[in-house]
Amino acid sequence: MRAVAARDDGEIDASARLGARLDASFRFWCLWPCIGILGALTLYPLLQLVPMAVSTIVFVSGESVWSFTPRRNFQLLIEDRVLQAAILNTLVFVVVSVAIEMVLGFFAALFIACLPRARPFARTVMILPILIPAVAIGSMWKLIYNYDFGLLNQIVQLAGFGAVNWLGDKHLALLAVVVVDVWHWTPFVFLILFAAIESLPRDVLEAARIDGASAWQTIHRVILPLLAPALAVAALFRAIGAFKAFDQVYLLTAGGPGTATELVSLHLNRVFFEQNQLGYGAMLALTVIALTVVTILSGRRALARS
Amino acid sequence: MAPLAGRSVLIGYGFLAAAILFILGPTLWILLNSIKFQIAIFTGAWIFEPTLQNYIDVLFGRRVDLISNIRNSLVVAVLSTLCVLAVGTLGAYAVHRSYASKLVARVLLAWLLLFQMIPPLSLVGPWYLVFQELGLYDTLTALVLTHIAINLPLTMWIMLTFFREIPRELHEAATIDGCREFQAFRMIMLPMAMPGLVSAGILAFVFSWNEFSIALNLTARGSATVPVAIAGFAQQYEIQHAQMAAASMISMLPALLLMVFGQRYVVRGLTIGAIK
Amino acid sequence: MTLRRSILAATAACMFAWMSPHEAIAQAAFADVGKQPPITILINSSPWFGGFEKIVQLYEQQTGNKVTLDVTPFGGMLEKARNAVRARQSPYDILNLDTQWTIEFYEGGFLSPLVEIDANFALPAEVLTFQDSNFWNAERRWRTRDGGKLMGYSPNGNVHVLYYRSDLFEKAGLQPPKSWEDIAASCAKLHAPPGMYGYVHRGERGNAVRFDWMPFMISAGASIVKSPENGDFTVTVNSPEAKRALETFVDLGRRCAPPNFGVLGQGDLIQLLATGRAAQGMAVIAAWPSFEDPTKSAVVGKISTTVVPGPAGAKPGIVIGNWHFVVPKSSPDDRKRAALAFSRWFLTAGAQRAYAEGGGIPVRSDTFTSDLASQPKFRWMKAYIDSQPFARQELGFAEGAQVEQILGLRLNQAVIGEISAARALNLAAAEIEALLRQSGRRTGLLAPLAE
Repeated sequence: MRAVAARDDGEIDASARLGARLDASFRFWCLWPCIGILGALTLYPLLQLVPMAVSTIVFVSGESVWSFTPRRNFQLLIEDRVLQAAILNTLVFVVVSVAIEMVLGFFAALFIACLPRARPFARTVMILPILIPAVAIGSMWKLIYNYDFGLLNQIVQLAGFGAVNWLGDKHLALLAVVVVDVWHWTPFVFLILFAAIESLPRDVLEAARIDGASAWQTIHRVILPLLAPALAVAALFRAIGAFKAFDQVYLLTAGGPGTATELVSLHLNRVFFEQNQLGYGAMLALTVIALTVVTILSGRRALARS
Repeated sequence: MAPLAGRSVLIGYGFLAAAILFILGPTLWILLNSIKFQIAIFTGAWIFEPTLQNYIDVLFGRRVDLISNIRNSLVVAVLSTLCVLAVGTLGAYAVHRSYASKLVARVLLAWLLLFQMIPPLSLVGPWYLVFQELGLYDTLTALVLTHIAINLPLTMWIMLTFFREIPRELHEAATIDGCREFQAFRMIMLPMAMPGLVSAGILAFVFSWNEFSIALNLTARGSATVPVAIAGFAQQYEIQHAQMAAASMISMLPALLLMVFGQRYVVRGLTIGAIK
Repeated sequence: MTLRRSILAATAACMFAWMSPHEAIAQAAFADVGKQPPITILINSSPWFGGFEKIVQLYEQQTGNKVTLDVTPFGGMLEKARNAVRARQSPYDILNLDTQWTIEFYEGGFLSPLVEIDANFALPAEVLTFQDSNFWNAERRWRTRDGGKLMGYSPNGNVHVLYYRSDLFEKAGLQPPKSWEDIAASCAKLHAPPGMYGYVHRGERGNAVRFDWMPFMISAGASIVKSPENGDFTVTVNSPEAKRALETFVDLGRRCAPPNFGVLGQGDLIQLLATGRAAQGMAVIAAWPSFEDPTKSAVVGKISTTVVPGPAGAKPGIVIGNWHFVVPKSSPDDRKRAALAFSRWFLTAGAQRAYAEGGGIPVRSDTFTSDLASQPKFRWMKAYIDSQPFARQELGFAEGAQVEQILGLRLNQAVIGEISAARALNLAAAEIEALLRQSGRRTGLLAPLAE
């Protein structure tokens, strides 16, 4: 008896040790690939921005020459009048676009989840816009907004009104750009929220129904709180994406008329890329990142309070 | 989800109809443009002479290699999606199960977000130099690696969110029964997070497929992807709307087909996730 | 529809016959460049690319040397060129640079002057150099033949011409316009919105409005800075002449162009001309093929070109927007020599003629004065070559890109009526002066205009 027991203990020990090693190996392979990729590919670009932001970089005889000029770069930043308009426009653009996309995406996900007959067709249709490259979307909406021949003005004129200068009117241009962004990115929010809605625990919803809660109350008290993490991720990534929005705005308005649709991404592109000011451009990039962080944090605080 | 009743059904269908009209309208308009001649697009004509010439130009013309671009895009999108799903899901699991210290987890998540905020313009310069030195310029390898990096933040955050929704008791029950960590992961956690996996996969695929700035800078004619080809129609003085529309329609097909055929797998995955 | 299509088909057949390369070989001399290693050219898709592609195929046919064309979207050209020259070895042996980018590459020392690759290389005398933009004098930091090294050559030049509807002008008994006043007069006769706009030019913020304002500014006798070729960067953009030029520009746009002319870009302008909604418009010569293609234009055969005018009695001022073929320093030596061999071949009369016939814009003056110009298909050539004496480069200095951004914004604000012309020019002048002072140029300001 005791000999058998001793052998069992030995086997259990060995299998326990093997199991622990497997666990450790699994843990390693979970954690280190993603850290490895991030380290290899993202450290260098992100860290390089900081020294660039306080330097002026010129090219002489094919080589880059760096000079340490933090004050000059900072002065450029403060005196940059276009940047001030750009920041204001960008904040409006981000807040309005993300808000509309979240609302539309949420209700689309909710209704499609609740109306099983609409589901296959509606789901496929809802993701169409993100399948089109940004360049094509910008060019296509530019045609739609075209004053003389565009689809929108054709409809407007059919309804008896005069043609509208969608992209050329200072007050309409930013709205026009927001509409394009909403069209393009609501599917993104929809996909995330739809998956989250589908994973909601059935029993809680059943309980709400049995308790006689109205549809609106169910949404407000039950579904939204349960969806909070998914809503947060969707809003977070959509906001970050809106700060980076470039291709479609550039094609639609190039920042005009005047500075009505000037966004920080456009301004950054002008400084960093067209004017080849690498140092000041890096400082602008860091400013954009700081602006994004501040916006997200204040957004989170505002929502937490409500 | 519980089916709606009464007035809510009407509101639901009404909203969906409006949403579908909003989304589908411009899409159908591009489809229409793709079978028009440029002059008909310019005038916004509804009565026009339909033509397949744009599709022929775009697919078989001498100036564009759209077929090889589609092949490149498919390879890059499929490979980078599979890899980023693997790396991202495991990484999110590691964070969820605290395989590293809290500090490391926090720094990792914050770094992911910070990286997501960098304008692509600041990335392509350093990346070009790195890949040029490694001899990987104009290769699909460079694109796959960079696409994995740019899709990692969203994938990890989505998977983390879905892992966090799974009740703790399930995992504890599994380990008590003698499951090893990876068995618990494979048998319980992963299937429960399947909806997240599917949506993260779709998004990673679509973002990789439509990614432009990096593809533009790291590829030449040989390894160019579909967005680079489509951008070629936006020339210095004019945009070739007809060909761009045709190319955009073709560009939508692979992802659409994946969605339609993946529906079955998606439905199965979602129902598994729903059984709690 | 059927009759029109058969006429067009017949015309196309004739054009194809004319484009046969064998004819071209029989007609003029080429160059024998010997066996060369393969080279790669960075080039963009453009209206004249088809012609260039044909000429490259002809080169490969004649010499057996291989040339690969990396066709890149226009929006990616500058970035790819920069990446190529900043790397240790350039993947491209010839870069195609837009004229406003050349200063950056000349100043940065990224390119090999052509005589350093082959001391015997020289541009044939007939090749247009577009105000010596192909030469770089590093001491004076100016593009000039005087003390300058040859950095490249232009595969084509692009100037603005005035497109007008010859059929409408004939019907109204009008002569092609020779001054802004003529344009205003013909516009008054033909302007009938929304079906017909009398005259259109671009007002979109940025390069568009700046480039289209230049003819007005130059022909009024104004300039942006006083004498940059001599190092005098006194800002003169807010002179009374410039104010008059800007007011004429804005006025013409308000009276004759669509209500959204403040956001019109080149694509929109071409769209208005091609659909027959604009009676006149200023656009690049490269837009010509769009108007003659029945799948792209409703006014085939009805459009003619003339030189962009100036005020009555004054000389016109036309801005050149040419491309440059240059050789990166980081390209290996044997491929540099092969690039030069291709260039030598490309600049011969025979090659240039074949290039024109294939749809390109040739760069040899004798191609323009040959019998080609008398063919109806090439009726744009006369306006193009007539523009050359008045054509000039603008913003040919390092700060050019930033000056353009400043002007691009302020001019656009004047166009949309946000600020007056005088205020726009004063603001622009102050900003340009600050910029030039910071980069160490000898600069100053004029007295501000009354606002």
